[in-house]
Amino acid sequence: MQSLSATSPAGVLLDLSGVLILLLAFACLASKLFNRYVVYYGAQSVVLAFAAGTSAVAFHSAELWILAALTLAVKGIAIPVAARRLLVTRLALKRDAAMSTGLSTSLIAGGALTAFAYLVTKPALLPHGTVASAVVPLSTAVILLGSLSMVVRRHTVAQLIGWLIVENGVFLGAITLVATFPFIVEAGIFLDIVAGVLIMVVFVSGLTRQLAQASAAELRELRG
Amino acid sequence: MTALAILVALSPLAGSAAALAGARARGAGLAQAAGAAIALGCAVALLVTLDGHPPLAGWDGFLYVDPLGGFFLMTVAAVTLLAALGSIGYICAQEDSDELSAFQIRLYFTFFGLFASLMLAALETGNLGLLFVLVEASTLASAALVGLEGHPRSLEAAWKYIIISSLGVTIALAGTLFLFYSGSALHLGSNLGLTWPFLLAHAHALAPQSLRLAFLLAVVGYGTKVGLAPMHTWLPDAHAEAPSPASAMLSAALLNTGMYAIIRFLAIAHARLGGTYPRAVLLAFGFASIVIGALFMVRKGNFKRLFAYSSVEHMGIIAVALGFGGTLGLYGALLQMLNHALAKAVLFLSSGDVALRYRTKEAGQVSGLLAAVPVTGGALLLASFAVLGSPPFGLFLSELTIVRAGFAHGSPAFPLLLLALLGLAFIAFARTTAGMVTGPPPDPALVSPYRDRTMVAVTAAPLILGLAALLVLGLWIPVGLDAVLRHSIAVIG
Repeated sequence: MQSLSATSPAGVLLDLSGVLILLLAFACLASKLFNRYVVYYGAQSVVLAFAAGTSAVAFHSAELWILAALTLAVKGIAIPVAARRLLVTRLALKRDAAMSTGLSTSLIAGGALTAFAYLVTKPALLPHGTVASAVVPLSTAVILLGSLSMVVRRHTVAQLIGWLIVENGVFLGAITLVATFPFIVEAGIFLDIVAGVLIMVVFVSGLTRQLAQASAAELRELRG
Repeated sequence: MTALAILVALSPLAGSAAALAGARARGAGLAQAAGAAIALGCAVALLVTLDGHPPLAGWDGFLYVDPLGGFFLMTVAAVTLLAALGSIGYICAQEDSDELSAFQIRLYFTFFGLFASLMLAALETGNLGLLFVLVEASTLASAALVGLEGHPRSLEAAWKYIIISSLGVTIALAGTLFLFYSGSALHLGSNLGLTWPFLLAHAHALAPQSLRLAFLLAVVGYGTKVGLAPMHTWLPDAHAEAPSPASAMLSAALLNTGMYAIIRFLAIAHARLGGTYPRAVLLAFGFASIVIGALFMVRKGNFKRLFAYSSVEHMGIIAVALGFGGTLGLYGALLQMLNHALAKAVLFLSSGDVALRYRTKEAGQVSGLLAAVPVTGGALLLASFAVLGSPPFGLFLSELTIVRAGFAHGSPAFPLLLLALLGLAFIAFARTTAGMVTGPPPDPALVSPYRDRTMVAVTAAPLILGLAALLVLGLWIPVGLDAVLRHSIAVIG
């Protein structure tokens, strides 16, 4: 597989996008307002679509172009707009109070996880000088940060956004690690559809109403 | 052969089609059972035709069935048949008592068929990316079953299930990415390069560091679906809240499908990294699961949760067996998977009958089962003994094989620990089920939830079928099955 060098223009752009995506994941972790979660997630997805476009130019891949367009349309626009209208506005969600740790604690934990991501993925795993060696630690960190926000947030909507951030992290890794693989691209598209289905299931089954009002933290019947 | 393979994956959709066409519980259930029977027949036929032939491969590796895949197909199809038979009585009774609306019943059969079909399809693909796609899709289909009853409790369980499993499977996808990345030297440009047999054949060219990470992520990711501790937290809730036949599908079919994915990764990791690293990973997760499962079984309470924790324990045993490795360990692991699937299907199906008759899922409120409902009570008692590894049932044989494998490979501390934990699990589990089965029958006498005697017979059929199969497997392993197991082990390496 051909891999991009970190110093080529596309490599620099991908690296930059990775950093922005990580920062937006941190922003989401540091926020307490449902509105902001959605905005940060949308912004992150737009940057991701840009990264996929960069990758498409570098690899001359039509599939990646389609993927970039889909990412922009579905994750950058459709999901944030739908989440805002159907969840945040309709359920009148404002401040997220259901957290198991304070913001500063979760930010420090996020920093530690980022360092951990570099520790795990950097040495010997990735050839030096390729863009993958720069972006994969970032994408691993995004996956960990998304998981962290799923753990510390107890509200179902916040958990959903956390999962979507994890998915963005995997996607970022996919376009830099294995950009030339055809099927993984399709799997990525599918993952997008899955995200849509997941959200629809939440809407249709009425889960949102029941669970959003009583946050997951208050549902304590199922224990042990 | 390709037609057979397609038929295996598609025939469970018969129930979905019937439900969508507007059939009521009885009709949809019968269609479901017929579809499952065809799937099982085709899976067995596929195994027979595979014997002595190269694996079935086609469509750029998207279709790939070898003896290992065939063995899992047979297991999952058998469980689907038992659960589909159990669904007829269970859902009809729910329909009669108006606990489920016509819409919910349609939803149930639609997603039941889809769920079974997606799992069977996942076992038939050689492409690791498609494997992920199908496993994730089966999560979504089964989440509808878990949340079917629509109570806050079942919705909570469904939410927990879908969010934890989706996260887990996404982690498995990250593992798959690292696996592909470890093959950078192979220039995997085509679809064929992403398939399991290709990667196994070229395992020597994979980069070890990246493969190590890939294997760990795959075990954590697919282990979430398997219910390995500490990723098991969705499992007891989902199993307790789903309708009982769906719980049987989760415990006996879904967990096995997840384990199948782990075995595929294990084979590649084993070929490149040797035994030490995969062994350490599997033993750690396996023993953690056995300990967690056994400890939570001590608590008396909801009997479906008890069975669910027993599934956690058994998946731990299977992981430990895979960790022990060698011919004995792998043979024991596969046999244990088949036996556990049958025993757990019988247990969950009989628990459905108990829940319908006693109108409770609390073990403390159930007594005198053997006197009040002899068939179900007997099935529950025998299946409990089976699942705990008592002779003459199949699990005795497979657990014995696993312990022997432990003594044959390395330190005796592990198999001794395994035996001690099995003893603890035995006491914890039997304490609850013995209380349910014995004692005076409830007063006033129970009202039968079924509309006629045929329904009672249909409900008893899967229990008797499952127990008979377990008994046969305990006394004698059919020559054909033995050959399939040996071929599967040869595939894993």
